[in-house]
Parts: sequence; C-alpha cells; structure tokens
Amino acid sequence: MSNLLPQQAGLQVNQVLYRYTTVKNPEDPLLVTVQNENAVDGGYIFRETDDWTGLPGNSIFKVVGVGGIPIDYWGDGEITWEGDGKVTDPSVIYTYQYDTCFDPQSDPSCPDYKVEIPDIPSVEVVDPLDDTFVQDEIDREMTMRDEDEEERERQRMSDEEEDDEEEVDLETVLGIANRSLQNAQDTAKHNQVMALANFSSQYYEQLPDTVYNETIQLKDAALPKNNRGRRLQFAQDLLHDKLVKSQYKGER
Amino acid sequence: MFKKILAAAIAVSAMSVQALDAPIVGNVESKCVVTLDKQGVYGNPSASILSTDAADGGVEPVVRYDVVIADAYKAVITHPSSFSQSPALSDTVAWTGSTAVEAVSDAQMSAYDTSKIEYDSTTEVDLEFTGSTWFKVSSEADYGVSKALPGGTYTAIVQANCIAI
Repeated sequence: MSNLLPQQAGLQVNQVLYRYTTVKNPEDPLLVTVQNENAVDGGYIFRETDDWTGLPGNSIFKVVGVGGIPIDYWGDGEITWEGDGKVTDPSVIYTYQYDTCFDPQSDPSCPDYKVEIPDIPSVEVVDPLDDTFVQDEIDREMTMRDEDEEERERQRMSDEEEDDEEEVDLETVLGIANRSLQNAQDTAKHNQVMALANFSSQYYEQLPDTVYNETIQLKDAALPKNNRGRRLQFAQDLLHDKLVKSQYKGER
Repeated sequence: MFKKILAAAIAVSAMSVQALDAPIVGNVESKCVVTLDKQGVYGNPSASILSTDAADGGVEPVVRYDVVIADAYKAVITHPSSFSQSPALSDTVAWTGSTAVEAVSDAQMSAYDTSKIEYDSTTEVDLEFTGSTWFKVSSEADYGVSKALPGGTYTAIVQANCIAI
C-alpha cells in the first residue's frame, strides 16, 4: 500500500470500493474475498467475502465503509477466490482524507504552528579596547599626535609672524604711492570745478592748515604661547575620543 | 316561568361551541431511488436498423436502483416500443429489446436475472436485497422490410419504475 496511497501524515482510509466480474456456472460454488493485511497488528484490516455459490456470474460493484483507518494499518491487498469459476476485471479503489495540518509544523499557515527559534550559543564578547596592549598603543599614538600637533602649531605661529612683517612693509609702500597719486588727481579735478566759477565764495574758503598728529601709539609685540589653552584643547580631544568609544561599548 | 327557561337555554348553548383541530404531520422519504447511470445511444448499422448494441455502434442505457429496504419494492422496466421523436414514418417499425442485470452491489442480487418476469416489453424484478442494482436495457428498431429510415433524429424512451410491493 505504500506505493498506492500518498504517504501523508494523518491520512485515513474511509471507504473501499471494489468491482469485479465472476464467470461461472450458476450451480458451482465460488467464494471471492477482497482483503488487506493489517500492517501493524497482523491479520487483516479489511476483509469482504462474496458468496456466489448457486448464483449466476455477474459484475459486482460494492462500497464498504471502514470508518477512517489510519494509513499505517493498511498492508498489501489482494482478491482471492475459492471454488469453481474465475474473477475478471478486478478494480479496488480506496477513498481517503487527511488533514494538511496534522503536523502543525508542516505549514506556517496551520493554526497551531509555532515559529522555531534556533539555539544561539552564547559568545563572550571581548572588547579589543579593553586590552592593555591596545590601550598602550592608543596612548602612544595620542602622545605622538599631540607632539606633532604642538610642532605644527609652533611652525604655524612662526610663519604667521613672518607674513605679518612682510604685509606691513608692502602696505606702507602702496599707501604712499596711492596717496600722492590721489592728491594729484584731486587737485586737477578741483581746479577744473573752480574754473567753472559756479560756486559761491563760501564753497572755496581756505581752511586753516592745521595738522592733527596721532597721539595714541600701539606697539607691536609677539603674543605669548598659550600653553594652558593648548592643554585644554588636547584634554577635550581625549574626552571626545572617550565619548566616541563609549557609544560603541554601549552597542554591545 | 317562560323567562327562566329561556335564560337556561342561552347558558347551555354558550358552553357547547368549543372545538380544536390537532394535525399530525409525517414525511416519508423514498427508500427506492432510480437513477440513469448511462445515457443510451442508437447506432445505425444498416439503413433500416437502429440498435443500442455496442457492435452496432450504439450504447445501452444503464439504470440504477438503490434500495434501502429489502423485499419492499419491485423494479419495472419497459424497453421502447415506439419513438417519442422521429421524422414522419410511412411504414411499420418492429421493436425488440431486453433488460438484464449489469452489475450488483451484493452477490445475491445476481439471482435477479433468473428470477425476473418478462412480458411484452416489460421486465419486473423483485428487489429482495438492499443495495444497488444496475440494469442495462437493449433496444432495436427495424423499419419496414429492410426499408431505409428517413433522415432525422430518433428518440425512444425506456421507462424504469420502482413500485412498492
């Protein structure tokens, strides 16, 4: 039966329909049996015998209800006969039903289906930042970076001082040239306007030639290195790095 | 005195008009069901013959009787003796036919073939066992004396009845 019925879990056979034709003389004895072995307990799970003794041969089509016997019990089937005559055109049909959710885990759409959660082995997470050697290396890199930063800062300050001196000289020269050029142009324009004589005398009264000398003198001096501020900046950098690292620790 | 008698008569008549109908209802389902299992077809092996024989290209109709009470019914099957529909025929038609058990649901029913009663075009079978019995009906119509049947559609009726004994 394993090659006849679908091997579906929970399958049950409800009816056996069989058909055959007997060829015999009416007076001859003939017993025809349709049967299936019991694959679990031995014997027969289904057995139906037709007594054709004293009857003319004919075709029989019989429906026998068996009331839902599980597939596991159905062993090999056969049609046998005893007596005179023969059986032709045999046919046996099994009607069955099965619950597609007999095993709820077979289909996620089944009512009692439970999502299987695999066993996840616990892994001890090792933070490489906690390692002493790694921490030492980070500190060493930080120190080197601070030293480089100081060196670069020192170099930058030195360059700025040189640039300032050059800019002062260049501005002084350009200022003198521009002023003399400006004075000449202004004088020429003034003379042209005055020649038109369209202004009243109040417009060209001579102003007193008074000089207002600069009384406040700012002395250039080099600003001292703010080592304290630099230390504060480096401390903030370290704190920032620590904050960044702490958020990754928080994820674990 | 007269007044007293009249009052008593009215009182008696008022008490005697009470009436009630109490119906009793029952349904009876048929214990014998007749079903046409296979539609019959006439073959036309020669110009003058219509036949349901498979050898003549026809199909014999099969009627099934389902009985749930033994010895309570009889099957009465009549094979055709006239066309219910045909072109106009100018000559006589000779009808032959028979009814036989084709299959049974109980081996004991096989005896129906030997115990049946046949008369005219009718076959009667006492349905002695519960279950299903399939009867096949053969029919043949010969027109005239080897006269060609006119073209058209021919229909004949097999009557199958289940009659309570």
